[in-house]
Amino acid sequence: MDLMTDTKIKISANHLNVFYGQKQALFDISLDINQNEVTALIGPSGCGKSTFIRCINRMNDVIDICRVEGEIKIDKKNIYEPGIDIVSLREKVGMVFQKPNPFPKSIYDNVCYGPKIHGIAETKDDLDAIVENSLKKAALWNEVKDRLQEPGTSLSGGQQQRLCIARAISVNPEVILMDEPCSALDPVATAKIEELIDELKQSFTIVIVTHSMSQAVRVSQKTGFFHLGKLIEVGTTEKIFKNPTNNMTQDYITGRFG
Amino acid sequence: MTKDTHIVKSYGEELQFLNDSIIQMGSLTESLLADSMNAITILDKEAVDRIVQSDKKINEYRAKIDTQIMTLLVKRAPMAIDLRITITALRISQDLERIGDLAKGNAKKMLPLPQNLSEDLLKSLKRLGTLVESQLNKSIDAYIKKSKDIAVEIIKLDSNVNELTYLSIKEILSFLSKDTKNLEYATNLLFVAKNLERAGDHINRIAENIYYLVEGDYYKKK
Amino acid sequence: MTKEQRLQKRYASEKRFKSYGIISICLALTFVGLLVFKVLSEGTSAFVKTSIQLELNFDHKLLNTSKQPTQEEIEDIDFYDFTLQHILKVFPTSNRDEEKQLIKLFTSDFEFEVKKYFKANPDILNKVITLNITASSDLDQLHKGNYQRDIPENRRKISNFQLKIYDQLLEKKKINKVFNNYFFTNGDSRNPEIAGIGGAMLGSFFSILVCLIIAFPIALLAAVYLEEFAPKNKFTDFIEININNLAAVPSIVFGLLGLGILLNVFELPRSTSLVGGITLALMTLPRIIIPCRASLKAVPPSIREAALAVGASKVQSVIHHVVPLAMPGTLSGTIIGLAQALGETAPLLLIGMVAFVVQVPGSPLDPSASLPIQVYLWSESAERGFVEKTSATIMVLLGFLIIMNSIAVYARQKFEKKWI
Repeated sequence: MDLMTDTKIKISANHLNVFYGQKQALFDISLDINQNEVTALIGPSGCGKSTFIRCINRMNDVIDICRVEGEIKIDKKNIYEPGIDIVSLREKVGMVFQKPNPFPKSIYDNVCYGPKIHGIAETKDDLDAIVENSLKKAALWNEVKDRLQEPGTSLSGGQQQRLCIARAISVNPEVILMDEPCSALDPVATAKIEELIDELKQSFTIVIVTHSMSQAVRVSQKTGFFHLGKLIEVGTTEKIFKNPTNNMTQDYITGRFG
Repeated sequence: MTKDTHIVKSYGEELQFLNDSIIQMGSLTESLLADSMNAITILDKEAVDRIVQSDKKINEYRAKIDTQIMTLLVKRAPMAIDLRITITALRISQDLERIGDLAKGNAKKMLPLPQNLSEDLLKSLKRLGTLVESQLNKSIDAYIKKSKDIAVEIIKLDSNVNELTYLSIKEILSFLSKDTKNLEYATNLLFVAKNLERAGDHINRIAENIYYLVEGDYYKKK
Repeated sequence: MTKEQRLQKRYASEKRFKSYGIISICLALTFVGLLVFKVLSEGTSAFVKTSIQLELNFDHKLLNTSKQPTQEEIEDIDFYDFTLQHILKVFPTSNRDEEKQLIKLFTSDFEFEVKKYFKANPDILNKVITLNITASSDLDQLHKGNYQRDIPENRRKISNFQLKIYDQLLEKKKINKVFNNYFFTNGDSRNPEIAGIGGAMLGSFFSILVCLIIAFPIALLAAVYLEEFAPKNKFTDFIEININNLAAVPSIVFGLLGLGILLNVFELPRSTSLVGGITLALMTLPRIIIPCRASLKAVPPSIREAALAVGASKVQSVIHHVVPLAMPGTLSGTIIGLAQALGETAPLLLIGMVAFVVQVPGSPLDPSASLPIQVYLWSESAERGFVEKTSATIMVLLGFLIIMNSIAVYARQKFEKKWI
């Protein structure tokens, strides 16, 4: 393993329990996410990884019957404290979804929507700069710079997903959450996004939920294995995939059960 | 250690094929080694013929195992224990093939025994041969049982192999100093001893790989 | 049954099913065609009116006024007498009865037509001009072929003398059909030849305008609140059931509501488009809320999530993203609701828009009728001249409905192309 640099903990979940009505979805999850690293969450369907990731930007608040106990700290501040401004939280923690969902507006409007409503940029020049910057960081600028006024939905699947990433970046977040971002994409588009994730981790902290074991290995530095709402094992990606401690983890990643 | 069956049965079968191939290759190498020792000590001519056949078979196994490993890597992208099984199979097959080559080389150096040969001359060499044979036998056992304890035993006995080799060489050299007529014979015996030592090194590596397969970490001498 | 037989049977039943569909469509088209044909055949003649050419010498002496008459003096001119002189010049008679019958050949407003023309073109003073004066309704119907000539005189509307004059006019080619501008510019009248739907059109227009201004924002906001913000509990379910029921309530009930509350309690002016508009708005509210809610429901949740994830508040995500996407459905629902309101008669009857209103309304606060009510009023009249006008009004009404529905379809297509 290479030199351990000063790894700061960006997000820390402590004894997190999540309920949908009477049904408990997450059991006593405690997990640290390091800054400027990619952390992958793997596990079979319905094991709670999406639920967990949606707690980090409090998207679960939208679901009425969802109840969260425990705490999640971002930069040592608990985001489930009463009085937390959810809008600023979501400015800090961006999200990219499984199926690309650009707004049915122009490419330009897609990316400048966030900065506009948060008041990050007022003048047209500022907005132009932010749009260009975000699209460049999302490796989409060269492909769309001549057609910014075309609707976002006219792009291919992979481009749409990069547009969604650009949209998430435009408000300058610190954390980007990705819920199976490549599952709807072809291999070439997937590869481009994985390359992008590699670059993005230099500026952001990334948490990615994925079903593809090989993607988790390629892309992440730390991996957590979830099963039936419990965090079974967490460790460096190398350890988890070369020699996991827990038998269930090994059985899952070698395809002995799923 | 882990659940036996993969969800995709053919994956499990492919790994099982690797396992069985290594074991069979190991048995062949074992008999090859025994035959080669006999050829040297008892001058058994038929043993030499058997040796040539066995060596051919060992090379075939090597090729089959190679192909299987390539297929596994490309098809399955094996993880964790499956990855270790695959990689150690590759390495062990290489070591077994080298052992086979060394044994064959030894047998080919068979020459008519000189008269008035002292029994003591071949004593240490015979002991060396027996030790190497038993190491090889143990290593196959360790592989079948996936036992890291047996592997550790083999690794610890490697120093004995080196000692015995040193003894053998001393004896042969002292024989040579007294009897210069059988120069060729003695020189060949020196090569035989060296080859046996190298075979012992290969067996030591096999044991280390078995340890790695089971533990997931390399053996560290304390 | 073999495979082939089964296949044949399946093809046959498919063919049968398709033919049922085609027959149904043909039947429906036939009925529509019959309706349209009847209306068209009866109504097209209302767009032209018969007029009689009359030569008038606008000599100031004949007008009994000074050489350069002032505005006051022009108002004092007796155009009735002036015109009568010229009529008698063409058809001289000393018989009082015949004179009356002659005058009856022209519209009862003939002196106002001449006066209007004179006031609009003051330079015709001392010149001889030939004017087209509107014929009376009876002559109009006769000329359009709706009166039988070969029945005894006492059963006819036109006397023998009048017939004689008519034939003379025909011979001299002094009688012709011109475009009936009165149909669109005048209000209601007892005389069919000058009756028009101008008042009813404006009445309908103002009513729909008031209806739109009140119903659309309220319905939109209600639908957005109920769909996006309201908690899902028994009370909101109750509201939803009630809204659905309200859409099915007979429209006359809303008329009673208008009568009881708007007129009696709030004492708003009777028979006005304002009250009509408010009543129609109450009726149209549920008919806009329901398609609006359906459109809101149809917006995929992924859009809302995307907006929320970027840091928009719930209100921002709804206003900036959900509502614009629901607009095509909402707009077409609104336009269809308005088209329905345009054709409503019963509620407007109850709030008094059935009054006989001659003056074309200038604002929603003036009393007026509406197009369907005008149809109702005229259809009840005994005069022959109103028959064609009824059908013509139906044509105008249908025309507006077709235009509004076409706008709805066009708007929906245009918006959908833009967004999706």
